[in-house]
Amino acid sequence: MIPIVINNLKKSYGAVQAVKGVSFEVEVGEVFGLIGPDGAGKTTIIRTLVSLLDPDEGEIIFMGKNVIGNTKFVRSNIGYMPQRFSLYRDLTVEENLRFFGDLFKVSTDVQDKLMKKLYAFSKLAPFKNRRAEALSGGMKQKLALSCMLMHQPKVIVLDEPTFGVDPVSRSEFWDILKSLAHEGTSVLVSTAYMDEAELCDKIALMFQGNFLALDKPDKLLQSYEFPLYLIETDQVHTAYNKLYKLEEFSDCNLFGNGLHVSDKNNYGEAGIKGILDKKQVEYKSVHRIEADLEDIFLKLIKDGSETSGREQR
Amino acid sequence: MHRILYLIQKEFRQILRQRAYLGLIFIMPFLQIVVLGFAITTDVKNVPITIVDEDHSAMSRRLVDAFSVTQSFDFQGLSQSSNQAKEVMKRGLVKLILHIPPDFEKDLKNNVHPKVQAIVDGVDGNTAGIALAYVNQIAVKLQQEWYSEMGLHPEELLEVHLTEVETRMAYNAALESVNNIVPGILAVLLMAVTAFLTGMSIVREKEIGTLEQLMVTPIQNIELVLGKVVPMLVVAFLLFNVGMLGAGLIFGLWMKGNLFSLYLMLVFFCLSTLGLGIFASTIAKTQQQAMFIAWFFMVFAILLSGFFVPIENMPDFIQMITYLNPVRYFMVVIREIYLKGTEIQFLWKEGLAMLVFGLVTFISASLRFHKRLN
Repeated sequence: MIPIVINNLKKSYGAVQAVKGVSFEVEVGEVFGLIGPDGAGKTTIIRTLVSLLDPDEGEIIFMGKNVIGNTKFVRSNIGYMPQRFSLYRDLTVEENLRFFGDLFKVSTDVQDKLMKKLYAFSKLAPFKNRRAEALSGGMKQKLALSCMLMHQPKVIVLDEPTFGVDPVSRSEFWDILKSLAHEGTSVLVSTAYMDEAELCDKIALMFQGNFLALDKPDKLLQSYEFPLYLIETDQVHTAYNKLYKLEEFSDCNLFGNGLHVSDKNNYGEAGIKGILDKKQVEYKSVHRIEADLEDIFLKLIKDGSETSGREQR
Repeated sequence: MHRILYLIQKEFRQILRQRAYLGLIFIMPFLQIVVLGFAITTDVKNVPITIVDEDHSAMSRRLVDAFSVTQSFDFQGLSQSSNQAKEVMKRGLVKLILHIPPDFEKDLKNNVHPKVQAIVDGVDGNTAGIALAYVNQIAVKLQQEWYSEMGLHPEELLEVHLTEVETRMAYNAALESVNNIVPGILAVLLMAVTAFLTGMSIVREKEIGTLEQLMVTPIQNIELVLGKVVPMLVVAFLLFNVGMLGAGLIFGLWMKGNLFSLYLMLVFFCLSTLGLGIFASTIAKTQQQAMFIAWFFMVFAILLSGFFVPIENMPDFIQMITYLNPVRYFMVVIREIYLKGTEIQFLWKEGLAMLVFGLVTFISASLRFHKRLN
């Protein structure tokens, strides 16, 4: 049985179509990532799945049952971690854990055993009597994760769990997610961080309520069709403004380290340098790089808007 | 059922960890009773007065003396003419002018009812009304003295009414407003705490996001609501008792009636205020909004409760509206039980009204409280 099946899900808020018909499945032991910027519709999908929102259209099957009409079943069996840090700040680590265990009627013995295990991976044991508000951001997230594991759900859903957390804690957090998946838990996670996307087993790139792509991260990485070059320069913005107007460099994007340019016409490094000189663009170096998910994401967005633009015309 | 207990346990842990709550329970009632008990007074004292005496007789002088010695009035001296007196009032120096006409003594002796004119600054209607009543009292008293000096028979003496006969206040003989105000404050405190805190504590969970987390658990709506409401009721109950203790210690105003009757009524009453809190939380997105919504309803409820302004003084249609106000009933109940020790069976109508309103408000507010985000 596939734990999560979503078919043609649509949801609008008034005139705004937040999710425009998406379908996907999350398999047993899989980490599925919903990747996209703010406002892409990730939270809406997650909230409909955990029965907090009713979908306008489409079908959501959770562990073989339709979410609509089986609210209680869903809420008893799913682990949900909302977007914001949502624990009781004035309760201690242990009180938070026990509270969620109690709500799901987990017996004290089982709670004790579980907490031992959860403390082991979260390393929160030394802080068990500390109030949640006094924890660091990373520890808070780990506590929130631990709380939602107190009823041992087979499926967990996390909405931007690492938002605003430092890189070290983020990577620790993902290690935990991976090990949970390894034990057979199905994980649906949303994030706006592209580096996290590569840690998922399968990802959906989301933009404006649609999936731009749905595949394994490495498959997506291989899908980039043109050679990609990094132009390092001190004047990225001037360079960008000159280049993106050129037909051959229309796939040109600003990155932290410089400009990423897609070489559609196969000019090669020398050819690109020639054009840069001709256009009087100052640069320090030009060399070939591998496309990462962000390049792919930006390209898909661009392709998408060109297609829809053509349709409109 | 157990889940409610866990929710309540959690709620109390949170309450006990917030100093603000403890202060609210133990300091606020004392402070309010002290400050408001002394400040909100309908007793009128030291009303500035001037007198125009056109008679200059022995009797008119006694009238002037009577007004200058009482605590109720602050005698600012005689005015030479009616116009001068009015000028003084215009400048705000006096609030009351007493005009003794010429031939006052003569008329009095000839048994022609002399008319003393009183002009009151009506800007503050309450004070004006009470000041006038004092004027009457003093005048009647004086007249009775004079007539007895003139050797009238006691039967004839009884006939003497300058205007109204003095009303004797039962149960609040001194007409001390603190007796009326303090039970009123207790009622208002109760309302504020239950409506505000319930609304705010639910919305706080909305703000932090814990409510969203709680929704995706097997807890049922009613469990969630009761888990919030029961602790607040306990807080309100404590606060109420602290308030009663304060009223006793500070004003010597101890409860006369049956404590358990009052507690029962308190629960009936709080059903509607807790309902209001839940209602506010279903509309509000932030704690400020919740407070504002609760405040909006509370202002009406308090003003139309008979706390400050007697309901009989309100226009008819407003009086009709007050029947929909649970505070109105509780104000009666708490004053009756507290000041008079009225037995509960005489207050069943008010109790029933509060219970009905309470159940309707509470249930409909709870139904509005969905475990959904739509």
